[in-house]
Amino acid sequence: MVSVLSGRGCLVINVLGEHMQRKIWAAAMAASLLLVAACGDERAADSTTAPTAAAPETTVGADTTAAADTTVAADTTVAAVEGTITVPDDYPTIQAAVDAAAPGDLILVKPGTYNEAVNVTTDGITIRGLDRNEVILDGKLELDNGIRILGAKGVAVENMTAMNYTRNGFFWTGVDGFRGSYLTSYRTGDYGVYVFDSMNGDLEHIYAAGSPDAGVYIGECFPCNSVIDDTVSEHNGLGYSGTNSGGNLLIVNSTFRFNRAGVVPNSGSYELCYPERQTTIVGNTVYSNNQADTPAIDVAILAMGNGILSAGGVLNDIERNLVYDHDKSGIGLVPFLEEDPNDSVPLPEEWGTTCEDSKSKTPVDPGAGILWDSMQNRVIGNVLSDNRAADLLVASAGTDVSTLGNCFSGNTHTTTAPNNLETLAPCDATGSGDWKDGEYNVAAWLGEATTRPPSVDYKVAVIPALEPQVNMPDAATAPVRPATGPKTIDLESIVVPSKPV
Amino acid sequence: MFGSRTVAVALMATVLAVSGCAGGGSNRDTGAGEMKAHTDATSLGQPDRPIAGPQGATPQFLVECLHSHTASDDPIVYPGRPGQSHLHEFFGNTEVDAFATVGSLTNGGTTCDQPLDKAAYWAPALLRGGAVLKPVKSTAYYRPGEGVPPASVQPFPVGLVMIAGNSGATGEQPLSIVAWGCGAGIERAVLPPECAEGRDLRLLVTFPDCWDGSNLDSHDHHAHVAYSARGVCPKGFAVSIPQLQFSVEYPVWGSTDGLVLASGGLTTGHADFMNGWDQAKLTSEVELCLHREVVCGVASGRKTG
Repeated sequence: MVSVLSGRGCLVINVLGEHMQRKIWAAAMAASLLLVAACGDERAADSTTAPTAAAPETTVGADTTAAADTTVAADTTVAAVEGTITVPDDYPTIQAAVDAAAPGDLILVKPGTYNEAVNVTTDGITIRGLDRNEVILDGKLELDNGIRILGAKGVAVENMTAMNYTRNGFFWTGVDGFRGSYLTSYRTGDYGVYVFDSMNGDLEHIYAAGSPDAGVYIGECFPCNSVIDDTVSEHNGLGYSGTNSGGNLLIVNSTFRFNRAGVVPNSGSYELCYPERQTTIVGNTVYSNNQADTPAIDVAILAMGNGILSAGGVLNDIERNLVYDHDKSGIGLVPFLEEDPNDSVPLPEEWGTTCEDSKSKTPVDPGAGILWDSMQNRVIGNVLSDNRAADLLVASAGTDVSTLGNCFSGNTHTTTAPNNLETLAPCDATGSGDWKDGEYNVAAWLGEATTRPPSVDYKVAVIPALEPQVNMPDAATAPVRPATGPKTIDLESIVVPSKPV
Repeated sequence: MFGSRTVAVALMATVLAVSGCAGGGSNRDTGAGEMKAHTDATSLGQPDRPIAGPQGATPQFLVECLHSHTASDDPIVYPGRPGQSHLHEFFGNTEVDAFATVGSLTNGGTTCDQPLDKAAYWAPALLRGGAVLKPVKSTAYYRPGEGVPPASVQPFPVGLVMIAGNSGATGEQPLSIVAWGCGAGIERAVLPPECAEGRDLRLLVTFPDCWDGSNLDSHDHHAHVAYSARGVCPKGFAVSIPQLQFSVEYPVWGSTDGLVLASGGLTTGHADFMNGWDQAKLTSEVELCLHREVVCGVASGRKTG
């Protein structure tokens, strides 16, 4: 209960805070620039004399003392504490600090621009920026990942910005235990925040924009035991993507807008741990995902114009979301056609197989294309409007959709495809009616996709200027919080968000 | 004692890998399993089986490179003799011609999404009715050879060049070395299959993953490297190196009528590699991704940069 209240509280604060912050921010920036111009920057001078070795050059930017006075930016003063490493004071680069850190250590990064691609292989460390908006990792469109965590358990990354990376802003792979908090990812070549083959973690207070794939992604895990909370993902190919993930995977209290497509979990045998199942999508604001000028992978172009789209997913719960203004569906349950599969579609009795166990199975070539149908999903209590193919949509490409076991109840909506979906397939009740009435031809999307605006190179795609994002409270003094598992979310108390103004 | 333990570990790893990863490599067009009589590639051995199946079971890093240029050059086989070779499609390093050397690669740019990979990759052009079918892109997968202990893999030495497959093959080559497929699918065939619309035809060439430890090249450009078998490198090739699988996507769907490789027929598939990686980056990717046994990337749905 408490965590949910605080989560929702946070959302409200964000909305108010952003409005106020813009004005204050401008003043702070001006003050900050003046200060630099007048006094120079002592740390920048220091960094030029530091040995650079093979490590990428680190430039330390504007001093934020002035900004800190305004309540916008964090207090960036650091007291020396055992187990705390400060960048650039103790080590000139984040990578050097990471290499020196032991499990349990906290790395505090002072404001500045760091042209680094940081790799983390030590368990249990926390890398924290002192000011989310002024600790900037910049890949300059040359470096691959801002921070990449490779098989290191329980690593937390907090309160910083990564931009201009050729792959991902923040990337966890092969880990048990992860947390990304108060992270901003901006203009990246694959994903914004990318979590692959990992479990037991949180992504919270994320802002991600300008990637051709997903702004936020959690894939190849079951059970994932993970949470995405209070995130904003916009101007990406996909707002959220998760291939073959699920199992206590919660996407809550977040906003997905102005992407080609919004929230798109999918199944596919091109990666392991299929199908996508048991993802819980509750209390999100999903709107205007028709954006034609983003970078986009092929799936994003195919899914364009949809709010929440299960592409071959099963057993998902989609409840109490606000979904509006889409050229296609608000909430769509559609098939994912895999013309060049790597395995046969698992039977429902195999859906409980853990990701770990499924890795030891030998794939069987089905000898032809396969169809992942969306099955047994529950769509309840969502509020939908102005979704121009249909507010609620279920379709297949050959399978009788009445047999797929999806259900729809208590949604505020105008249109469905087929017609009267809540009568045809109510949750926990027996349906009736004609499934052929208003059935939807989803296969037409394949043809339409070829006529849609092509991907715009992420390096040059026009995305909104980066606004200051909410800082982690007390970054300089907050104790280390272990990244060992998802936080508790009280789903029951989440209500449908109100429409943003 | 130590030796037998090493073998046991390697065997165990093999069993795990066999049960755990890449698919059985279907041979839809050839009848399953058996490797037909092959060419001189046999002297170098071959992988236990074709590398195929869902990504995510085997540690890997990969690089996607757009097409750079087309030329009748081959700086490995016909160095300094422009126009002597059959037509090749070049990827990665942008300045590769008949005069290119491993030393000159630092001068070029790269078409790869990893700017620190300035390696030169090339494969024969694919033609139909005399017209070159310009490739869509290429993907270079770097993995431990099947069953090879990942932590034993060493980066390619600076200056290594090698060729995989046989451009002069007069019969079928082992599917585990040269195969055709569609998109990201599991199918591996000796001849190009008919791919569904939107799923590009791929030529997949798997390079040797064992090195003799001293020669950066050899008279036939093959003899200094070899393939591991059951997780073990053959005698004389003690150094495990990443198993490079190079895949070229050609814009071909549906009928395969009239297709021919510039090297002749459709079973002369091969690929060439000159190590132009930033050596520090290559070393770090081998250590971070392969030694730590994680997936550092999967092939994307991107068609362009």
